[in-house]
Amino acid sequence: MIEEPARTAALRCPDWPVTAARRREPALVGVPVAVVDRGQRGLRVVAASAEARAEGVTRGLRRREAEARCAGLVVLDVDEAGDARAFEEVARAVEQHVPRLVLHEPGALSFATRGPSRYFGGDDALAQLVVEAVAGLGITDATIGIAAGVFAAGLAASRSLVVERGETVEFLATWPVSVLAGPVEASYGDGAALVDLLARLGLRTLGDYAALPESAVAARFGPPGLLAHRLARGEPGHEPLAREVPPELVETMELDPPATRVDEVAFAAKALADRLLGRLDAMGCCCTRVVVEAETEHGERLTRCWRHEGALTPSTLVARVRWQLEAWLVASDSGVAAPGATAADAADAADAEMVTGGLTVLRLAPDDVIPATGRQLGFWGGDPAAADRAGRALARVQALLGSDAVATALPVGGRTPLERVRWVPWGDARDSPSEAAPDGRSEAAPWPGAVPGPAPARVFDPPVPAALLDARGAPVVVSGRGEVSAPPVALDCAALPGGGGPLVAWAGPWAHDLRWWSQRRRRVLWQVVVDARADGRGQVACLVAVERGRAAVEALYD
Amino acid sequence: MATATSPDIPQLARLSGLPGKLPRRDAAARAHLEEVGRHTRPVSLAHERALELGPSLAALVPRGTLPRGSVVRVAGAPGAGVTTLGLELAAACTRAGEWVAVVDPAGSFGALAASEAGVALERFAVVRRVPPARWASVVAALIDGVSLVLADLPPAGAGGVGGVGVADARRLVARARERETVLVVGERWPADAALTLHARGSEWDVAPDATGEVHHLTERRLHVHAEARSGAREGWLARAG
Repeated sequence: MIEEPARTAALRCPDWPVTAARRREPALVGVPVAVVDRGQRGLRVVAASAEARAEGVTRGLRRREAEARCAGLVVLDVDEAGDARAFEEVARAVEQHVPRLVLHEPGALSFATRGPSRYFGGDDALAQLVVEAVAGLGITDATIGIAAGVFAAGLAASRSLVVERGETVEFLATWPVSVLAGPVEASYGDGAALVDLLARLGLRTLGDYAALPESAVAARFGPPGLLAHRLARGEPGHEPLAREVPPELVETMELDPPATRVDEVAFAAKALADRLLGRLDAMGCCCTRVVVEAETEHGERLTRCWRHEGALTPSTLVARVRWQLEAWLVASDSGVAAPGATAADAADAADAEMVTGGLTVLRLAPDDVIPATGRQLGFWGGDPAAADRAGRALARVQALLGSDAVATALPVGGRTPLERVRWVPWGDARDSPSEAAPDGRSEAAPWPGAVPGPAPARVFDPPVPAALLDARGAPVVVSGRGEVSAPPVALDCAALPGGGGPLVAWAGPWAHDLRWWSQRRRRVLWQVVVDARADGRGQVACLVAVERGRAAVEALYD
Repeated sequence: MATATSPDIPQLARLSGLPGKLPRRDAAARAHLEEVGRHTRPVSLAHERALELGPSLAALVPRGTLPRGSVVRVAGAPGAGVTTLGLELAAACTRAGEWVAVVDPAGSFGALAASEAGVALERFAVVRRVPPARWASVVAALIDGVSLVLADLPPAGAGGVGGVGVADARRLVARARERETVLVVGERWPADAALTLHARGSEWDVAPDATGEVHHLTERRLHVHAEARSGAREGWLARAG
């Protein structure tokens, strides 16, 4: 029985770019405003004010279409840094009441509700308090939702609901599957295709999808489908790491002289981010949250935790660090007063400004470390784009054939060629051989009783029946005492060209007894070289196993 | 003939990834790093985009490289060395830091041999349990993503020629050319191939190992006949056990 994830509250300020623009320019209040960004297909609307939405302007419209629908529309370019700066005030306002927040992007944040809820006397009271705190800044359209898990809390926030304890799964069941597109896109890419497929299969709500058995989902949809399935059931999206993470994964950088402008720090912050992700990648992990800490020259310490839907890649991590640095460094010298605030409020805001000098230390600490699955970042000798493309192609083949049809090989210890390879399905974490050492199967140390020589290129599982004959034409047998009747002279087998032939050379036998304690099953392995020169095909080498009276070709040195 | 030495990439990665262990800084490590750097340097000119092969196969192929987007047919009787030749091509590809996929309907692929041939196993995916009806779509999906596909043809089914149809084969050839992926196929490939490698047979040696006590298979000499549009060449590939 999997525990419910922790109860989380999510605060959403819809169309935050518009709200932030209005805070910068009070003249835009009450006027239809749309913020556009250059996407893949031209300038598209990413946020629109309430007045513009009333006229039919929605997200994803082209700029000209939006201008045609709404006369007098003010169109602004997206300003991510400005949005982050403005959202820092909201974060500070909420931080007065809640100790630890996690920012998702400018306009969305979340926090765990266990402690604050108990302190303020219930989830409803907490929600009320936070909304009022944000409204005190002049932002009246913020909504808050509380449910178990960040995904469910985000959905609850769009309806401004507090979901009772234990009712999260029921709450999730009525939502359409289109809400899964975002998380799947961030982690694996191609979220819209998965949602489209689910809709065509007749699974229209999260409840329908959650009702499917997990093995069927894994076989049909692969890792992206599994992630969506876990989210639909109200379980945490990523499995926790089963391994201890060293606490010293923090990357620190000292800035001398203290930096007061973002561009001074941004380049060095990029190097920090690359180093941190490189170290995590070398351990086979990635993180979904990062804590950005800074110290100023006056000794103040600032902390902010940022979260990304999928694993943090270098570009998304650097973007968040840049937003946070903008928020700290630039906000301190632009005392923006909220429209409608009184003089006393302005004084309070000035007191609450924490950044009074330049930054001297910048620190990045990973949080919520999960095993890196599927999206390997190609740290050693690989181009990350190529690894991405290959990963997507392999995931598509997994969706066609089942998740264990596509695998990579991991060499482990063993005696026979079949035992010495472990097949790890694509998407599962590959433990490095050094970590397989603790349970004794290390590949580096020589394995006693292993078949020496080169590894065969073809390994038959199950082995192909054959007949290993001695000089008199009788099959070579192994007695109960492990003695071989006679040296082999010829091999007949369907897998060999020409059906087999006389032996040119042989090596062995190597004993490979299985389960000696329960049953005397004597098994020996021979390496034989069959002469097929009569057919003009040279020599063929194979590995033959003889058990009691039966022989079989286990492997072919193709 | 000298054997192709394969750079020990997994070993070096393990050394540099472990915390608390200093990386080797001696001349051997530096030389190895330079060799890897040479192989992973991106090629700039479009008509020079080709896959560099190891020294043993480079002597057999015109210009010593394999043009991307071409189809290579490897033919030979079972046991003659067909899989080994495929693995040499795969090793050349992963040495350049790229990805290789194998389609193995019979489920008989030996991955340890791949690692001994110099293939980097973390960039080497094997697709097993492929139903013959889906073979072409699986190969097409893999061509989109990786740089080299080793496609074993599906075994002859009941009441059919077996293998893959001519139309499917021609479509796959066109797709491989478009995506600049090398497609390596077997003897019964119905469409044309830019390069055909015939594995004519091997000679094996059984010799005592280093301690002098245990006899086992050691060296192998593989006779290869390469046919390209520019002509045919013969050569020997030697691999030590």
